[in-house]
Amino acid sequence: MSVQAFRLLCASGRQHLPTGIQIECLECSGHDLYLGTSDGFIYHLLLVEEHNSDPTGLSLTHQGDCPNTTFSTTPQRQKQLGLKKAVRELRAASAMSRLLVLCDNTIFLLSSESLEPVPGAKIRGALSFTLNENPVNGDPFSVEVCLISSKRRTVQIFSVGQEKVQLLKEVATPEQPCALAADGHYLCLALSNHYITMNYNTGHCQDLFPYPSEQKTPIVKRISRQEFLLAGPGGLGMFATVAGISQRAPVRWSENVIGAAVSFPYVLALDEEFIMVHSMLDQQQKQTLAFKEGIILQDFEGRVIAATGNGVYVLLPLPLEKQIQDLLSSQRVEEALILAKGARQNIPKEKFQVMYRRILQQAGFIQFAQLQFLEAKELFRTSHLDIRELISLYPLLLPSSSSFIRMHPPLHEYADLNQLTRGDQEKVTKCKNFLMSYLSEIRSTEVANGHQEDVDTALLKLYAESDHESLLDLLVSDNACDLVDSVSWLERHKKYFALGLLYHYNKQDAAALEVWVRIANGDLEDNTRPDLYEYVVDFLTFCRDPQLVWQYADWVLQKSEQVGVQIFTKRSSDVQLHNSFNPDKIIDHLSKYHKALIMYLEHLVLGKRIQKEKYHTHLAVLYVEEVLHLKSMNTSEQTEETGLRTRLQNLLRQSNLYRVLLLIDKIKGTDLHLERALLHGKLEEHDQALNILVHVVKDCSAAESYCVWNSQGRDTPYRQRLFQLLLSSYLSPPCTDNALLVAAVDLLNNHPTEFDAANILHVLPENWSVQLMAPFLAGAMREHIHALRMTQLAVGLAKAENFIYKQQKLSMKGKPVVLSDKKLCHVCRNPFQEPVFVRLLSGHIVHTHCATNMHVNSSLSDNLPNTSKRT
Amino acid sequence: MKKPDLKVVLLGDMNVGKTSLLHRYMERRFQETVSTVGGAFYLKQWGPYNISIWDTAGRERFHGLGSMYCRAASAVILTYDVSSMQSLLELEDRFLTLTDTVSDDCVYAVVGNKVDLTDVAGDEDSATALGTPTKIRRQVQLEDALAFYKKIIKTKMLDETSVPPAEKLCFETSAKTGYNVDTLFEGVFSMVVPLIKKQDGQEDTVNLEQSNSHKETKKGCC
Ligand SMILES: Nc1nc2c(ncn2[C@@H]2O[C@H](COP(=O)(O)OP(=O)(O)OP(=O)(O)O)[C@@H](O)[C@H]2O)c(=O)[nH]1
Ligand SMILES: [Mg+2]
Repeated sequence: MSVQAFRLLCASGRQHLPTGIQIECLECSGHDLYLGTSDGFIYHLLLVEEHNSDPTGLSLTHQGDCPNTTFSTTPQRQKQLGLKKAVRELRAASAMSRLLVLCDNTIFLLSSESLEPVPGAKIRGALSFTLNENPVNGDPFSVEVCLISSKRRTVQIFSVGQEKVQLLKEVATPEQPCALAADGHYLCLALSNHYITMNYNTGHCQDLFPYPSEQKTPIVKRISRQEFLLAGPGGLGMFATVAGISQRAPVRWSENVIGAAVSFPYVLALDEEFIMVHSMLDQQQKQTLAFKEGIILQDFEGRVIAATGNGVYVLLPLPLEKQIQDLLSSQRVEEALILAKGARQNIPKEKFQVMYRRILQQAGFIQFAQLQFLEAKELFRTSHLDIRELISLYPLLLPSSSSFIRMHPPLHEYADLNQLTRGDQEKVTKCKNFLMSYLSEIRSTEVANGHQEDVDTALLKLYAESDHESLLDLLVSDNACDLVDSVSWLERHKKYFALGLLYHYNKQDAAALEVWVRIANGDLEDNTRPDLYEYVVDFLTFCRDPQLVWQYADWVLQKSEQVGVQIFTKRSSDVQLHNSFNPDKIIDHLSKYHKALIMYLEHLVLGKRIQKEKYHTHLAVLYVEEVLHLKSMNTSEQTEETGLRTRLQNLLRQSNLYRVLLLIDKIKGTDLHLERALLHGKLEEHDQALNILVHVVKDCSAAESYCVWNSQGRDTPYRQRLFQLLLSSYLSPPCTDNALLVAAVDLLNNHPTEFDAANILHVLPENWSVQLMAPFLAGAMREHIHALRMTQLAVGLAKAENFIYKQQKLSMKGKPVVLSDKKLCHVCRNPFQEPVFVRLLSGHIVHTHCATNMHVNSSLSDNLPNTSKRT
Repeated sequence: MKKPDLKVVLLGDMNVGKTSLLHRYMERRFQETVSTVGGAFYLKQWGPYNISIWDTAGRERFHGLGSMYCRAASAVILTYDVSSMQSLLELEDRFLTLTDTVSDDCVYAVVGNKVDLTDVAGDEDSATALGTPTKIRRQVQLEDALAFYKKIIKTKMLDETSVPPAEKLCFETSAKTGYNVDTLFEGVFSMVVPLIKKQDGQEDTVNLEQSNSHKETKKGCC
């Protein structure tokens, strides 16, 4: 495949030359064109470049692409050196207005204007020469001429000034050279069958490689600092540095290349029929121009000129941007990018960056259109593509509020995705999936910077459309979705639950709740959340807008009292909202909802442990009413009733706040005996309570546990009194009920220690045998003796302790301690420096610090130090 | 263009599979090739380093280019075809002389390619018994390569104790199946990368951009 990199334009036909006369060599410097001919003439022509503007005005091509550039030449002076010999080489030294001419093995120095020779300034015995374009001596008023001398195996370096020439160096070469190029201290020479580089300062040579003898003229061309281009075997254009290293792969020319030129990033080569253009960047041949009978191809200050024996042609490079655009439009992304990258050095940095960015973006869209998403993404990413360029390809995704307009000139040719995919739905879906993953990837990165709204809205639309689960995640996290646009989109796609989330995120909780309630009521269809009701309850629980909560309180309670009441019970207490949600107001509101009210009061009384009589009483009354209500229903459903009664009983037992008398009144005439007993218990009317338990409820174990929990935390006499009351209750009125007698005996025998045995014996019926009561008596006795012994033991221990203290006291009141220079510390064996010491119980004296150490180290309690300060 | 930090060169007779090996390593696939003209090179980013890998042409007419390609190379991968003894002999006769221009501490690797073509090493009888017609007899055994490697060390007059052992630098590969290809290149790279610092000092042109990046990489590895 080819690119158009150059156009071949004729600059001068044969009109300036007499027939039969051939161009031998040429030089071009600015607008000055010099031709050297086979008959020893030098022609000076002016090269004129004209840009004809397109007369039709229809041309859409960019600036710099000059399809109408033409060249022409106008003759100036001409000069014959008077030798009738061919002019071999021509070189201009424009800074000095000089022209160097090789003719008849002599280099003449001419004025570049008049073409008159500078007298006395010539170099004889030159076979070929070159100007060092990168001379080490940077004198602007001289040039360095390197030449192959007619002396065998010799090269010479001259300094040529305006008026004189001076030999700088003469160096012998290993073999006879036939072509040369120069850079710095280095010469690159073609010897008889191979190339070498040579440092003319040191004479050091470096072999490069052989060239085939069939090559007519070896080609040695300096192409950049320290790098040469050489014609190699097999028609290769080889690159080599002065150090003899190849840094670029060779290009493939034809076998017989006559001349070569460089115009970055291309190398051009001339053979008998063609001019070949290769890229130095990827070594590919890019263009072939037919050019017959060419003899010269050279570049002069960046301008490439080719010549036949009688015509001069300019190879006009097309602007790189144009070439890149051409490559892009033929979808050759890779080559375009290589060319763009390679152009970096030749374009000012800022301009390059803008251009390169744009090329990457265009390349990205090409890859995108081929569904090469990975590559496209990478290109978009590295080129910092305004993400909206991509979003805008998808119809309707950008919010209507977006101010985005596509870049001009456009980055691609597509109106939208439908055009790009030609309506192929499968492709459309792929593209959408790509955008979805790409947007979600970048939305929190700097790529989305500034376009957050466009990105998020587009993402929301894609998610909604494709039923993607991430829709909800997007809406519950930080997002910048455009409200108006998103609302209508979500409605269109029936994503009502998500719509509610969107409202909520935009602080429109009222609207959110309205949508959700409509879904829950079945007015709207959206199955996103089967537990929507619970969701709403939860939402209201955490809602900080009292008005909304109250507005929807009835709705949630009507759906389910148990669940609905959570909006009050699970609400976290908040000082600011205290008024709006004060318990009385809530209780008032809940009066219609019995179950909810019970749960709420339970929350207050049991959960939050609020110590207010009215809540406790209210709850107890409600329990009673509910129990009685359930009883009256007479259903077979017992569990609820039992559950409720248990809760009632627990409350009655645990709370001390409710109004006991009111409740006694409430349950009067009902069969809530146990409860009544509890209430009497609260009034300390234990005899009544126990009587009810024993005689009405007839539940001995309940009566016993009554005694146990009522005496919890009380002293033994209280407990004993309760048990005695129970016993009395069993035994009175002088009873005939055998069961109660048995219960009484059991009570005694099972709890012998709970009674004051001495007292009890009087109460017991006379006719009870000792045998019957044996366990009780034994137990009581045992307890009694145990108590006695324990007391004696305690007395003994206390006395012993007392003795110990007395003894310690005595031992401390010992003799005075005399401290002298001879006394040493018992621990460290050093004398005392200060009149301070510690005396141990053992009588030893030690330093205070030693005592502290000892104390830390040892656990011996009898060594406890006893600080005293005596001299 | 990024300047490579070091150079690795593939040498060997035509048709042994140099281009295919490189292609397999760089592009991860095996593809029909045309005989290389002149040479070609790839840049491989290896950690912080840029390694240029030169694929040379095995054909006789390009032989003259070899020394230049080898100049200052840090590693030379001498490639033969296990099904052709001649290709190994060529390495010794023709290609070893090209390596006179390599850098002083150049690493040599010897690689026998196309193992997929041949019967199992050292198990000729069973392979013939199976009679797989596509398999051809291996002509070069690994021992031959090891011996050749030792010969290189000797002729280059390298200190046998300081160069890596033959076992570490003789490989058998298949560009077709990918067998051992990564091992080969990465093994060679890991041996030459430590040489980069030494080369720094020898460079006679100063490349600002490059010397910067070198400093960075040095910091990185401390
Ligand atoms: N079966 C098999 N064939 C291979 C293998 N490697 C290369 N080939 C084939 O061998 C032939 C030559 O491969 P190339 O990679 O071009 O050889 P080369 O060494 O680069 O040859 P020159 O460029 O001429 O020096 C091609 O037909 C490849 O398909 C391999 O591992 N197994
Ligand atoms: Mg090859």
